[in-house]
Amino acid sequence: MNEMSKNENLDIQIYNFAYLDENTKRMIRRALLKALCIPGYQVPFSSREMPMPYGWGTGGIQVTSACLIPKDVLKVIDQGADDTTNAVSIRKFFQKTANVAVTEKTSDASLIQTRHRIPETKLKEKQILVYQVPIPEPLRFLEPREVETRKMHALSEYGLMYVKLYEDIAKHGHIETAYAYPVKTNGNYVTDPSPIPKFDNPKMNNSPAIQLFGAGREQRIYAIPPYTNVKSLDFEDYPFEAMKANFKCSICGSSNSYLDEIIVSDDGKRSYICSDTDYCKEQTKLNSKKEDQL
Amino acid sequence: MEHYPFSENSINSSIAFRSLVNATSYPGRTFQINKLNKPSVLSNAAATILITLCDNESNVYLSKDYNTEEVRNWLIFNTGAIISNKKNADFVIGTWKSLLPLNEFKIGVPEYPERSATLIIEETKYKKVKCSIDGPGIKNKLHIDLPNPELFIENNNLYPLGLDFYFTNDLEILSIPRSTKINVINSEY
Repeated sequence: MNEMSKNENLDIQIYNFAYLDENTKRMIRRALLKALCIPGYQVPFSSREMPMPYGWGTGGIQVTSACLIPKDVLKVIDQGADDTTNAVSIRKFFQKTANVAVTEKTSDASLIQTRHRIPETKLKEKQILVYQVPIPEPLRFLEPREVETRKMHALSEYGLMYVKLYEDIAKHGHIETAYAYPVKTNGNYVTDPSPIPKFDNPKMNNSPAIQLFGAGREQRIYAIPPYTNVKSLDFEDYPFEAMKANFKCSICGSSNSYLDEIIVSDDGKRSYICSDTDYCKEQTKLNSKKEDQL
Repeated sequence: MEHYPFSENSINSSIAFRSLVNATSYPGRTFQINKLNKPSVLSNAAATILITLCDNESNVYLSKDYNTEEVRNWLIFNTGAIISNKKNADFVIGTWKSLLPLNEFKIGVPEYPERSATLIIEETKYKKVKCSIDGPGIKNKLHIDLPNPELFIENNNLYPLGLDFYFTNDLEILSIPRSTKINVINSEY
């Protein structure tokens, strides 16, 4: 027993608060503040190796580490769910290294780290939303050379992106891009919103919350401050449309939230459920309250 | 321990940084900073910015009232920062008048707009002009007092290049980043 408690103490002493050392945090903090001053611009930073593989949120976790305070209530979601592997392990990581309180409730959280979704519940002022970003450069699949994409951003030369969207229309009759749909931030930089479904794009516009983006492997940090104009790229005759599957959630019955499609039987029967597990729980509670009143 | 700027370094620096994030995210609004051990000439807020953000890669320009042995020793001992000239400075500290003209500070380059100076303006003893501000982080237009608003308008015209400002006064901090648009309400000068 004594041995164990000794080891537990050791655990706490091994790590600096929230894992990263103070020098790394300073470097990330400087990048974060400049990112907030230049909305949508990707600030290079010297990303550290984290105790998880690239692609599992090494960028988001570094941003969260640099931002966490002891008073924070942390929520971590992966595709909207609080209970998937990535979300659970990141949440445990910060419970262990920062000893912060955690929650699944969007409205109770002061800092939310997310992979590929924005919560359905409206965010509030001073809430921080940290996105995990795989490819921060929206032009990368169109132009592989960093020197060139950097120049394109400097000159606001985004014709190539419009050509891509136009080709979508020419081929499919509509803009095919369904996730990581490019946006223009504060009327200046074209920005990758990370692979959120385009259903979530309108939530980024004029949000009261602080949106921070971390790409670990690609070593970039960017930000969208609160109350910032975020416009999804489109054409006058093909305006942007936030779409979702045209069904109701089979658990809570909501028709407003983003749905995941699941196959429920061997003969391919489909069912749709809310991707945001917290929202789904809240709706279910509201429904049962309504039933009680009847 | 009482000689260190923060009593519990990693905890207090995180709390200080959160105030900076909030101030930068919501320009024109005042946010509170905690007390720390610092040279007497510096305000708590200005000292907090330097301690939280500077390391041995940071060039700091101290204008004449702040370029004292006490400040230099404190800054170099605690952060390893480099005392630099105006041209190379990443962080600049001084009263408004002592920092003019602003065009000597670096504003970044089109490919790297973040390679620009952050100006920390101490004291509020400048000629105030009523302005209304708008832009990212501001819900409805805000009214604040600024010195020489024409310089902030000029700075905003450089966007996405430009300087980022923090106004510090004792325990208070307020930011005007380059993205903030300024309109003069009463122009008496």
